Amino acid sequence: MSDQIHEKGLRICHLYPEVLNLYGDRGNIICLKKRLEWRHIPCSVTEVKIGDKTDLTQFDLFFIGGGQDFEQEVLLADLSAGRGADILSAVRDGAVFLCICGGYQMMGTEYETKDGVKCEFLGAADFRTKGGDVRMIGNYAFRCTEESGGSTVVGFENHSGRTFLGDGVSPLGTVLKGYGNNGEDQTEGVRFENVFGSYSHGPILPKNPAFADFLLQTALNRRFGIAVLEALDDSAENAAHDTVLERVLQGSTSRD
Amino acid sequence: MKKHSVITTFLSVAACRITRCMLRILHRGGTTLPGRAAMVFDKSILEVVSRDMEVIVVTGTNGKTTTCSMLRTALESADIPVLSNISGANLLTGITAEFTANASLLGKAKKHYAIIESDEAALKKVVPYIHPKVIVVTNLFRDQLDRYGEVMHTLEEIRTGIRLSPESRLCLNADDSLVASLASETKNPVIWYGISVPAENPPAEMISDAKYCIRCGTEYQYHFHTYAHLGGFFCPKCGYSRPDPQIEVKAIDEITAGGSVVDLNYPSGPGRFTTKKIRIALPALYNIYNAIAAVAAFQAAGYNKKYIFRALSTVHSSFGRMENFHYNGQELQMILVKNPAGCNQALSYLRNMPEDFAAVFCLNDKTADGHDISWIWDADFESVVTSPRCRKLYAAGTRAEDMCLRLKYAGADASQIRICHREEELLKAVGECGLPVFILPNYTAMLSLRGLLSAATGKKEFWKEQ
Repeated sequence: MSDQIHEKGLRICHLYPEVLNLYGDRGNIICLKKRLEWRHIPCSVTEVKIGDKTDLTQFDLFFIGGGQDFEQEVLLADLSAGRGADILSAVRDGAVFLCICGGYQMMGTEYETKDGVKCEFLGAADFRTKGGDVRMIGNYAFRCTEESGGSTVVGFENHSGRTFLGDGVSPLGTVLKGYGNNGEDQTEGVRFENVFGSYSHGPILPKNPAFADFLLQTALNRRFGIAVLEALDDSAENAAHDTVLERVLQGSTSRD
Repeated sequence: MKKHSVITTFLSVAACRITRCMLRILHRGGTTLPGRAAMVFDKSILEVVSRDMEVIVVTGTNGKTTTCSMLRTALESADIPVLSNISGANLLTGITAEFTANASLLGKAKKHYAIIESDEAALKKVVPYIHPKVIVVTNLFRDQLDRYGEVMHTLEEIRTGIRLSPESRLCLNADDSLVASLASETKNPVIWYGISVPAENPPAEMISDAKYCIRCGTEYQYHFHTYAHLGGFFCPKCGYSRPDPQIEVKAIDEITAGGSVVDLNYPSGPGRFTTKKIRIALPALYNIYNAIAAVAAFQAAGYNKKYIFRALSTVHSSFGRMENFHYNGQELQMILVKNPAGCNQALSYLRNMPEDFAAVFCLNDKTADGHDISWIWDADFESVVTSPRCRKLYAAGTRAEDMCLRLKYAGADASQIRICHREEELLKAVGECGLPVFILPNYTAMLSLRGLLSAATGKKEFWKEQ
């Protein structure tokens, strides 16, 4: 397999790590790196921060995490200063994006605070988020749609924003237990182009190895034409996945 | 003050005492139930039973319990009886229980001095009743996010608490830009404390909880770092910067497993400062911060500092914080870890061990721990897991599988990590491992492991130590 791969391997971009890094988001990067390393596929991770002028067209896979409201304000200025357009063209170009919480909301058209203040976001797809009073918190589970691999994902959600997908926009999956996008329509996350948005931090990838591999495979296939990944020993991953899934489906989010 | 009748006070104190007594007969160190019982009869009983007392309150993410323990040791060494929530039950109910159980049936406080640790969000509920003379804020890091949301939210909770207590003197960590911002909108007098030298090991890729200026949003710059986001911060745009501390570490002479020696500069009279070598009997950098927070509290309260200096050189670890056990002929040290900043400090302590050791990571996700365990991915387990000195790894707790997975991605061979679901099984395994053992549990895991270890080693439960 490795002769198919350019020496630089898969190029991962961690966007705004200094601002969007709540809730163990770093675990997703650790997971991607390790799962490539175990398959002897080289990779590089480049952090692109506010104000950096790094060329985004070189990257295969982008990760955008969640952040605190206070810090997201700092970020909006950078987006409107040109970064937003770069991100949109990478999306159209088919690069893989994993966007969590704040990073997910940012891909939508707007965020409306509970006081009615509207904030314009990137608008990569037609979905919007409204701030609410109720925080949707807890372990939860959803099943990805077939186009996103069809695996079951467990994670932890913690958001007061409620996201509603526009007509014709596909969710990432269907909620099995928990709130998902808005606590109403059983949808979770978004999927368009090769963008995967979700409220699942926790972080999402380590204990959902099938989903992690689906992202890697999508990115590797686009860059190097690798359609099948070598299997790994995922017993530790699956043990963590199954333990949480079992508890979530039983309806107990904690063991007090 | 609201009116309280003698009858409700009597019933309230009696209910609290009876509940506490019952729990102890059942061999349980109940900490909040007696408070709830007291509040059935008088919701604000705390105001009655703390009347005329002199109270120091300690809040902040890390270091509350240890700072309180230092303060308590100092006052007790001067033969002053101190009331304290020694168990770490630091919500309104736990604090109410502590004060109420120590009052007469007429609600009169039996002790005059109190050292109280308060949860950050509980501060605003507690201070209107106890009117603290001094409020100490240790630091602010991301912690138990599913309870409080975000660091900024926690900061606002503390700010509200301080606003409700305009008479209190504040002791604030000058090196923490979040904590330092608490002084900006209040008229409370402030004693600043801080460490004015860079720490030995600069943080590698620690995620900062305070990257941008809280006033204008510009990225902070630093003259020096101590750990995490603490250090000599300043904003190049608006000028917000680290205040000059009155209680100031000028040099760190030594940090070992046995403790630290620092040069401390402090006010020794009106307009006069003295520098003195201070020995702190607890290891690690964060205990230097706890020590100077305690010195600042003594300064603010107007107590004789010779007692706190002496206490710092003798203080024992408290309740799962670097606490030692001799078990089955082996040395066990328990280090409570609840969040990435505290955990990284503990891991850095392990990494510098000169001998082989076994490491046990216990992760629970009960309400008191926070249901969200994502923070383990922000802590730097890599450095310990890949250390040649770390010979054995154990994962335990209600989220043992997640812990095991974290260790795997930190570089451990997953097949070599032993998962122990039952605590008895864990203790048996580590008791036979033939190495010094470091146990890093989070809160509820610490409580139950400590209980088991105490029973097995003849140590007393916390509620028997008074």
